[in-house]
Amino acid sequence: MKKILLEYANIIGYTITGLIFGLSFFLLFINFYHSQELSYVADVSEYNTINKDTVSQKIATIRANLSVYNQANYSGNLNIYGLNTAQIKLEECLKIIESPEMMAYFEKKEIQLKDSYNFAVDFKNKILNDCLVMQVKSMFNTDTVSKLPNFDIIKPYVELSLNNLLSSSAYVQADLENADHYFFNTNGNRTNFFDLVNDSYSNIMNDYQDSLDLLVEISAWFKSIVIGG
Amino acid sequence: MKKILNGLFYFLKFLLLIGAFGLTLFILVRMNIRLDKSVTTIIPEIVPFILILLVFIINFIFKQKGVTDNVFYNITCCLVFTTIIVASLRAIFDTNMVLNKKYGYGIDFNFFDNFIAYIKIMVYGLSIANLFLMFREKDKDEKPKKEKKA
Repeated sequence: MKKILLEYANIIGYTITGLIFGLSFFLLFINFYHSQELSYVADVSEYNTINKDTVSQKIATIRANLSVYNQANYSGNLNIYGLNTAQIKLEECLKIIESPEMMAYFEKKEIQLKDSYNFAVDFKNKILNDCLVMQVKSMFNTDTVSKLPNFDIIKPYVELSLNNLLSSSAYVQADLENADHYFFNTNGNRTNFFDLVNDSYSNIMNDYQDSLDLLVEISAWFKSIVIGG
Repeated sequence: MKKILNGLFYFLKFLLLIGAFGLTLFILVRMNIRLDKSVTTIIPEIVPFILILLVFIINFIFKQKGVTDNVFYNITCCLVFTTIIVASLRAIFDTNMVLNKKYGYGIDFNFFDNFIAYIKIMVYGLSIANLFLMFREKDKDEKPKKEKKA
């Protein structure tokens, strides 16, 4: 009886050791695989060149639209305090967009997961927060700007676009943060479904372009009221 | 050859245990400091390490050959402690994990926190397997002695 019990103890001992061997083997190799996944490098040289040209064109358009107003020469009937506020706020936005930190992303030839994440964070902090919320949203809440023509037409459009932009990139950042956990992103998955590095970067870049489109629209409104008034 | 290999893994498992325990303790203490929690809260996480160390000491003192001469068990121990060391080092040095930089503590607690459950499973598992294997060897040791006496 004792012998049988000890034989069973032996079998159980080996079974547990075997299971632990399997688990640790799996964890060790999933760690190597995961670290390789996270160090994946994506080529974005062509994509960035195209985006850089588009951004440069949009910045030039905004600058041209803003330059139609000069307080020293202005002889129209509109409230100059409102026009000054709008011009200053939009110029502040341009400074943020043209800052070396933001333009550096267009110079990148290759990106890694951390570059996509940094882009998502900088886009949120600088473009969404510092530019769109602190400058554009606050501009549309000032008394002087609210007295400008067509304010009631442009304001709902700006607010809707702002709300969409503010909520659009949050999930991308969360996805990138979740990449710290073990996951199975095979090459097939990367090609057919979602490439965490490349697609996250593209997603943020699209939001970046949408933000610039919004600023182009606001500057066009500004130009039209200056010329019209 | 088998004896040399077993001796190597037997010696290595003690070194790796020290490394795995040291790194785990370092990360857990840093985690608790960050959260302003008492150091006593990490006791449940270090109990499996203390337990397996005690079991190893018992194996050594009583010369339980069912465990000490068991190459498979010794290799498994080395593999488990290597895995813990690799995961701990990744939590500290793998800067491709974005939360490592975000929280600014130099350790990715988010990644390591997921691994604590696996550490407990593996180290408790090794202790339990050790207990079963040490009983087997007692039986085998006793047999030749009885035969000799007869």
